[in-house]
Amino acid sequence: MMSVMEVCRLLDRSAIGTDIRESSLLFPIIEGIHVLALSLSVGLILITDLRLMGVVLRNRATSEIWSQFSPWMMSGFGVMFLTGALLFWSHALSAYHSTAFRMKLLLLILSGLNAAVYHFTIYRKMGQWDTSPIPPIQARLAGWTSLILWAGVITMGRIMAYTF
Amino acid sequence: MVASIYPFFAWCERTWLCKEITVHESIFPALETIHLFGLVLLLGTILILSLRLLGLLMPRQPTPNLARALGRYTALGLAIMLPSGVLMFVATAVRCYSNTSFWVKMCFLATALVFHFSYFKKALRLPDSQNSRLRGRLAAFGALFLWFGVGASGRSIGFFG
Repeated sequence: MMSVMEVCRLLDRSAIGTDIRESSLLFPIIEGIHVLALSLSVGLILITDLRLMGVVLRNRATSEIWSQFSPWMMSGFGVMFLTGALLFWSHALSAYHSTAFRMKLLLLILSGLNAAVYHFTIYRKMGQWDTSPIPPIQARLAGWTSLILWAGVITMGRIMAYTF
Repeated sequence: MVASIYPFFAWCERTWLCKEITVHESIFPALETIHLFGLVLLLGTILILSLRLLGLLMPRQPTPNLARALGRYTALGLAIMLPSGVLMFVATAVRCYSNTSFWVKMCFLATALVFHFSYFKKALRLPDSQNSRLRGRLAAFGALFLWFGVGASGRSIGFFG
């Protein structure tokens, strides 16, 4: 059974990992896409969070914002995940030892948990509050939590690059 | 032409502000992170409004209404990005001077700002019935090209010369 660190070392030393890391063009391009796709992923989730918080687009149903935004947002997160995986691949060993990277993963998991809690609780009663300008407290809290967690993910992502 | 303004860049790095930023090593990364928060707001809302102009997002919501609701977040993004960007510039002015990506970014930025406050805002204000398809497309693709150009050239300041 290989340890997580050994897997990271294997990825780091692999041909693909080495190629990305040592290419003067590949790494900057993938990193650039990862940064700019923040607009599509976190940019759109930010507006849906603000709607959940009852701050923006109060005259539109929360479900409408979600159904309109989610396909774009999900493709944004697809790009983030793909480029992020390639960036990780090229620096797997540094990432393994980076506290900021571990924090980033933890915050991503917490963000997923927050979404799951929302989905299985107040979202079930959405029929009662979908069109309310200001959603109930549990929904507003889910919005705030998501906003803060994503700000943390971005912060840790920026800091981890300094530790490489 | 550009060489004649070099003394300004050198002066920036002699200011107390530059010294303050460079002497504390956590300030620059903090500015970069704040700059990224601004990017999410600015590029995020530009993207949403451009998709709306193209008819690909919230087609039942009139464009001027969406623009009114999101416009303040675009402005907030700009209000975060500009000061944090100026501070990062002050701290690295001499390096910026000899950095091609920096000048490309400034050209993109100047054009993006002019385009934003003229053509793009005008297209957002017009009711959808009065906006021709061509105008909507020009406004959307123009804004996306210019703002993402700012972002891409900005990111390459740190990677390339």
